[in-house]
Amino acid sequence: MMLLESVGRFSLRQAEYIGRLAIQFWYGLRFSVRASPFKGRGLRWQRTLRQMGDIGVRSLPVLCLVAGATGMIMALQAGAELRRFGAMEAIVTMVGTTMTRELGPLMAAIVVIGRSGSAISAEVATMAVTEELDALRAMALDPIDFVLVPKYLAMLVMLPCLTVMSVFSGILAGGVFAYFALDLTLLAYLSRTAEILLMRDIVSGLVKAVIFGSIIVHVSCLEGFTVSGGPVGVGHSTTNAVVKSIFLVVLADLLCTTFFYFFWR
Amino acid sequence: MTESTGSTTELHERPREASRDPVISVRDLKVRYGERTVLDGVSLDIYRGETMVILGGSGSGKTTLLRHMEGLQRPTEGRVTVKGVDLATASRTTLTALRRSMGVSFQSAAMFNSMTVGDNVALPLLEHSSLAESTIRVMVRIKLQQVGLTHVEDLYPTQLSGGMRKRASLARALALDPEILFFDEPSAGLDPVIAAGLDDLILHLKSAYPITIVVVTHELTSAFLIADRMCMINEGKILAVGTVDEIRRNPDPRVQQFVRREADEPSEASSSYIVGA
Repeated sequence: MMLLESVGRFSLRQAEYIGRLAIQFWYGLRFSVRASPFKGRGLRWQRTLRQMGDIGVRSLPVLCLVAGATGMIMALQAGAELRRFGAMEAIVTMVGTTMTRELGPLMAAIVVIGRSGSAISAEVATMAVTEELDALRAMALDPIDFVLVPKYLAMLVMLPCLTVMSVFSGILAGGVFAYFALDLTLLAYLSRTAEILLMRDIVSGLVKAVIFGSIIVHVSCLEGFTVSGGPVGVGHSTTNAVVKSIFLVVLADLLCTTFFYFFWR
Repeated sequence: MTESTGSTTELHERPREASRDPVISVRDLKVRYGERTVLDGVSLDIYRGETMVILGGSGSGKTTLLRHMEGLQRPTEGRVTVKGVDLATASRTTLTALRRSMGVSFQSAAMFNSMTVGDNVALPLLEHSSLAESTIRVMVRIKLQQVGLTHVEDLYPTQLSGGMRKRASLARALALDPEILFFDEPSAGLDPVIAAGLDDLILHLKSAYPITIVVVTHELTSAFLIADRMCMINEGKILAVGTVDEIRRNPDPRVQQFVRREADEPSEASSSYIVGA
């Protein structure tokens, strides 16, 4: 009975969480329309631009390092095996497709979760604790409109851009390996990569980036909005935001990859 | 002396107010957090243009009552209407429209720390009015002057003292010239001199504008000074509603205990002030 009870309670909590996320997502979309630069004073647009700098530009250096290292690691690991079969050429295909479809968007998402997801939930949770969110509501401003939407729009633009940079750094790092191991010039490596990559590889990577971005912003904001327990709660909500974002991003990645595997070959 | 005040749930209305329409009306409001009952059948009317002080100790439910009137918490049991709008069933749009006629000053001031004081005060104007930006800048300066602040537009809230932050948050609450102004603990965390300054400010607002003011506080001195009518709340129930005189002469031992307990405190000046007011 105890077991049944706790299973039930757990399921209810998860259902409530998903419901909240869905409602927040819906309002996020509705308010996003109002953020048009041609409407009102363009205040929302200005806030969005500022967020773009925060989320995008400042993540770039660390992301390039992480993605570059990932590309290099993959080339090294694959090279160790492929060398035995004399199939070193396959490294170009491996690094190119895996980075574009999978690791590029994933690395970008993970870096952004660490940098921005935690910052977003800490910021929103602090606003909740210090009554700033209530002050917004009292001023007839919806926190979703005022706080979430600029971050969401910025993320929808910046995460795909970061993904492109992430993919490029990974492929470039693979090129460095290819230069030493295969005597392949960088130009030859890049042109071969370009030949191999299909439109579906690139599109699937970018679609993933958009989905990951939505997850990161909505999960982080929801953790902030629903904070309880004062300053200690802020710490909890930040941790929860990072853990839940990573879990949901990886889960979404699995679903996307499965989808593309079956429905778009 | 002439009339006794309302009992716990039934609201006592004085004859001369019966003809007036209440701007805020609370009926049988019950609020529970899990097992704990915070408000237990509260009914209260607040009329246009009056200053109502909701008085009670910590944990009495007074802030919860205020949050329901502000529309920050939706009533689950009972009814809260503000300007005729039922807050439990109001749509998001209606609530937004209603909130434009309300100003709220929070206990913690709740200034946006990422913006300057000037931008804080300008925010409601930028969002809800079509005034030119230069006009808004002038209005911000006027609103800040009204609360006794000058040359603070370009400072950040963290650079202000507690009392100044409270005043700035009041300026922000006044930005859209609200019909109803809510105050949560105006003097909390401030020294007596600055708290008295805020009382003066509220008195000034009362005389200068036809504004309905709702103040939540546990400070008796300040309550007796600024109130037109008072409502005393204890353990989620209303003990008494009435004018300052009526409350002071209320026979309810718990009301008297509250009044006396404050008066028993060492501050002779404040207690003699209450008696002499």
